[in-house]
Amino acid sequence: MKKHVTPLLDELEKGPWPSFVTEIKKAAKTSEMANDELGQVEYSFKTKKGYWKHGGIVGVLGYGAGVIGRYSDLPDMFPGVTFFHTVRLNQPSGWYYTTKALREIMTIWDKYGSGLTNMHGSTGDLVLLGTNTESLEPMFAEYSSRGWDLGGSGSALRTPSCCLGPSRCEWSNYDTMEACYNVTQEFQDELHRPAFNYKFKIKFAGCACDCVAASARADCSVIGTWKGPILIDQAAVKEHEKQGMNITAEIINMCPTQCMSYDGKELKIDNAECNRCMHCIAKMHKALKPSGERGATILLGSKAPIVVGSLLSWVVVPFIKMEAPFTEFKDLIRKIWEWWDENSKPRERIGELIEVKGMRPLLEAIGQPPVPQQVKEPRKDPFFFFKPEDFEKVFTKDKY
Amino acid sequence: MEKDELKEKIFAFMQKYKGKKKLKERDIMKGVSEEAGVTPDEVKKAMREMIDVGRLMYSYGGGASSVEIPSEEYLKEKGLL
Repeated sequence: MKKHVTPLLDELEKGPWPSFVTEIKKAAKTSEMANDELGQVEYSFKTKKGYWKHGGIVGVLGYGAGVIGRYSDLPDMFPGVTFFHTVRLNQPSGWYYTTKALREIMTIWDKYGSGLTNMHGSTGDLVLLGTNTESLEPMFAEYSSRGWDLGGSGSALRTPSCCLGPSRCEWSNYDTMEACYNVTQEFQDELHRPAFNYKFKIKFAGCACDCVAASARADCSVIGTWKGPILIDQAAVKEHEKQGMNITAEIINMCPTQCMSYDGKELKIDNAECNRCMHCIAKMHKALKPSGERGATILLGSKAPIVVGSLLSWVVVPFIKMEAPFTEFKDLIRKIWEWWDENSKPRERIGELIEVKGMRPLLEAIGQPPVPQQVKEPRKDPFFFFKPEDFEKVFTKDKY
Repeated sequence: MEKDELKEKIFAFMQKYKGKKKLKERDIMKGVSEEAGVTPDEVKKAMREMIDVGRLMYSYGGGASSVEIPSEEYLKEKGLL
């Protein structure tokens, strides 16, 4: 195996952080693919150009998603990476693995691929980096015979992901792992067989701490919430203060709706004004906890900056029960997809479509009433558009 | 309509657009169901059977996925030719 000299990449091994270069070098001892990947990346650093080509027709029979074709633009210089396809494996809910499962994944991957992984990709999949076209079918046969499946890619439902929910977190307002698993099983077709105009991501977070960053990255964010008041243990509030917390600065002044007050003796919350952001509960975890009915808020539209600018998601359904078999949620998703498919252009995410069309047609299509919680930016950017007949109805007192 | 007949209609629809327009699954479901007078769901099932045996295939380019008539190279790669 030819050893590539990599002075530029070696710089990335210095310092206190784990280095991807070190990991590729380890894999390169036994893998020609990993070895030539080092060579190509070093060459890229030297010339300040990228040499990966991407796309095309690669995959396993019957699936249109899960494999991303990748090729080197310099196959003569780096033959080991002539083909360097990425494979996405659907991760378990909450990213729980046994060591036996990880060994199983790696034994197969070392046999067919470069041995390099990315755990995990930003959508959540376990990403296997670098294999050739001939290896795809036998590799998939081995993984699927052991219960593993490919994840989403292209214009499909992307692999749903979730926070670890009630398995380790007291704040989770619904069983995120069950919801993620159940919804993944329900929408296998949409995951493996791309039918949409563009990607669609669903992420399940148990509370507004949003450990999966759903509100910034998912087309549909399912964020746990509750209906009752925040319960306050005043003695524990004092305890937090005694331990050095500046309650006014760190809690009261940071409350986004300014619904809290503290006079040095008693913490008060005007629960009607609270928007369940979780800031106070996360900071004063011994003193505060949610109560009452639990469920989730459904938000739509967040995305990264590709095509048009980045968007944060906004509320469509303020409260929905999230209990197995999640029928209400699944029906809602189907209606959303229907509207999106009917109205969007190629490569248009749902958030962009709502920006273009306004919230009203979406709400009408999915059968949701307009409610104040859907107003994202009052007085700045109204997205409810009135039709002439609405004024007529107001005049005849038929509506509103 | 018999499924085999529907498959032929799907294939003819695909040939009509070959090289002219990238068709996604739902375009085909909608287009063929209107032409053939069957439900989109029937088209979906027939189309997927065609994909499963390599008569049609999924493709990806420019950030979006589509369904196409497979090339010889693809069929050889999958051991179907």
